[in-house]
Amino acid sequence: MDDKILEFTSLLRQNGLRVSMAEHMDTFHALQLIGVENRVLFKDALRATMIKRSVDIAPYDELFDLYFTGLGEIIKASTEATQGAMSLSDAQLQALMDQLSQLLQDMGVELSELAQALLSNNTGQLEKMLREAADQARIGQIERSFQEGRYAHSLAQQLGLGDLTQELEALRQRLAQAGLDPELAEQLQRFLERRQQDLGDIIKRAVRAELAKRDQSLRENERMRSLAEKSFYYLSEDEIRRMKEAVAKLAQRLKNVVAIRRRRAKRGKFDVKDTLRKNLQYGGVPFKIQLDRKVRDKPQVIVLCDVSDSVRNVSRFMLQFVYSLQDLYSRVRSFIFVSEIGEITHLFEEQEISEAIDQALTGNIINVFAHSDFGRAFRSFHRDHLAVVNNKTTVMILGDARNNYNLPHEWVLKEMQARAKQVIWLNPENKMTRGFGDSEMDRYLPFCDLVEECRNLNQLYKVIDHLVT
Amino acid sequence: MFASIEDVIERFGQQRYICSRRIATVVYLASRLGKPILVEGPAGVGKTELAKVISAALDHELIRLQCYEGLDEAKALYEWEYAKQLLYTQILKDKISEVVGAAKSLKEAVDNIAQEDDVFFSDRFILPRPLLKAISAPHPTVLLIDEIDKADTEFEAFLLEILSDFQVSVPELGTLRAKHIPFVILTSNNAREMSDALKRRCLHLYIDFPPMEQELEIVRLKVPGISDSLAQQVVGAVQRIRQIDLKKVPSISETLDWAKALTLLNITHLDAALVDDTLSAILKYEGDIRKAQDELKEYLQRQKAKTPPAEPAGTAKDFLH
Repeated sequence: MDDKILEFTSLLRQNGLRVSMAEHMDTFHALQLIGVENRVLFKDALRATMIKRSVDIAPYDELFDLYFTGLGEIIKASTEATQGAMSLSDAQLQALMDQLSQLLQDMGVELSELAQALLSNNTGQLEKMLREAADQARIGQIERSFQEGRYAHSLAQQLGLGDLTQELEALRQRLAQAGLDPELAEQLQRFLERRQQDLGDIIKRAVRAELAKRDQSLRENERMRSLAEKSFYYLSEDEIRRMKEAVAKLAQRLKNVVAIRRRRAKRGKFDVKDTLRKNLQYGGVPFKIQLDRKVRDKPQVIVLCDVSDSVRNVSRFMLQFVYSLQDLYSRVRSFIFVSEIGEITHLFEEQEISEAIDQALTGNIINVFAHSDFGRAFRSFHRDHLAVVNNKTTVMILGDARNNYNLPHEWVLKEMQARAKQVIWLNPENKMTRGFGDSEMDRYLPFCDLVEECRNLNQLYKVIDHLVT
Repeated sequence: MFASIEDVIERFGQQRYICSRRIATVVYLASRLGKPILVEGPAGVGKTELAKVISAALDHELIRLQCYEGLDEAKALYEWEYAKQLLYTQILKDKISEVVGAAKSLKEAVDNIAQEDDVFFSDRFILPRPLLKAISAPHPTVLLIDEIDKADTEFEAFLLEILSDFQVSVPELGTLRAKHIPFVILTSNNAREMSDALKRRCLHLYIDFPPMEQELEIVRLKVPGISDSLAQQVVGAVQRIRQIDLKKVPSISETLDWAKALTLLNITHLDAALVDDTLSAILKYEGDIRKAQDELKEYLQRQKAKTPPAEPAGTAKDFLH
């Protein structure tokens, strides 16, 4: 049992679940108290001692089932399949197997260990042999699905599938010549045939289960990581859905980080006045030192999002990210534009983030199917909303600056920069392609304090991190 | 000390706390291994309650440390009572000048005072906070460290030392070792991820919202006099609401509040109008309420269409309070 737990632990580790030595020891102590007979208790004990993050619980459950039910289940399932295919009840199957072994004894046939286990449906024995063969064939090293065939082959070889096939063939021939009652003979023949197939089936499924064990969360992790690096341009429907979760998670992480930084920054210089006042109760003897608290300005943010077809996805995540972090700013106002501009701040006040974004992007606010015209949008912003920009505001503009050869009106940006604390432009386009074709980025560039490429989640995270600290 | 898992369930039952086997297993293991339990889960599933029940079931004193941002050693471990010390020096002025008076030089005076200084740094002037209280208690205790995720990471590091050795060193008094290892429960709402070092030292218990039958059992236990059909409707509705994507999901205590409110109003059957009026008992956001109303209207109609449901098989004696 100890070996199995050790192996299970390393399996957990392979799948990215951290289990320390100390926790491992705890597991053994716990099992001394609880024992291993009761499966439910066993599982709970392992979980309490080894799994410490709630996100790890689901993968743990899956791995536990894969590992500890493993081979026995597979063998049982295939026996049941055979039983079903031959439409035999439990008792009938048992009777058939008894008859077979009686016959074999009468004929003086000595079966190999494997054939014996298979034909008498000795699940325990079969499982043991299978496990030994699996060890020999090192199927634990399987990593990719294209290796399935190779490992299945070597497992079959270790188990001696070839010999077994010959043995059963010979047996079937002898039974055919034994002059049995035709109905019984027919049944026995089918039974032998099915069992032979069953073993091949069991081997394949054992290998597949082994692969599933290694693969679980490894794959999940990899997918998450690649998602963060993947360009917003090429997301599938499913990825957009999962990206939403990833954005929420990342926002939470940033929030924690910022909270810690803020707290550290709060401890300021020695505050004489406050110290004296606080220590009056000790007769003016300064027992307790008071430090002044720095009041940090939370940033005010104005977001201008281009929501034309080409950058809509980026805008979506940008808005989600900004609004998930709302309590880190003192005020956020957001506008969307294609060629007209419209404010969507109130949407976020009334509705939940994702719904507000959906509404903003479906064209209730502005016509989202027009051709991009940054110049026109900037001009209307200048006319209607310039008053919201003051020396505490950070203006974030998200867009690819592809202006369809309209007038860029970069003077608006110049004026904004003069009024605002800073102007940040996020461009989902690659640096190389800027300035080509109808891109007006080069004209806007001089009036931005910072221009960042922002085409995937990691880059977005970096920008927002810069913004809130 | 609990004798077995069954013993845990039984003793919790006496405290009117319905608990699943998983919870009982972890509590039993923790009590036998002398390890702290880190309890996580959504708000309002009875994490804090668990500590209270353990203390009642074992008949040990419960010492509670509520964590918050900025909690430090002085608030958690011990503090010298400066004011009292000062007061004593004032009152004992004459005695002190007697001690110092005979001295010929400043050095001698300081030496004389130094000989006496442990008078002022003794048990008499120490103000024990929860952690020191738990460690120095002459009888076994249950120590509840509530909402540990609210405390700073520095405090977490400091806790580690205590949780692994159950001893603290006070420079003036020396090292204090726990006479009885306290039964420690830490709760966390997952506002932030706890450090691995802390997790390593604890058993982990994740409490989730209970399934239908368990919550029904809880409602029946805690709201006596509720009619069976109403209890079913209430719990069914709440379980349904939890499936929707809400800002704040209703907790068990809110289910109980709602059930209590409805019994108080002498209601035996839920209908759409009633739901509209009383939904504020379980949902605390305007947007949530609107969403839930739509969802429940549909649900109640379907319920009406069906014949009144039969008594469920109430076998699963599970879950918390």
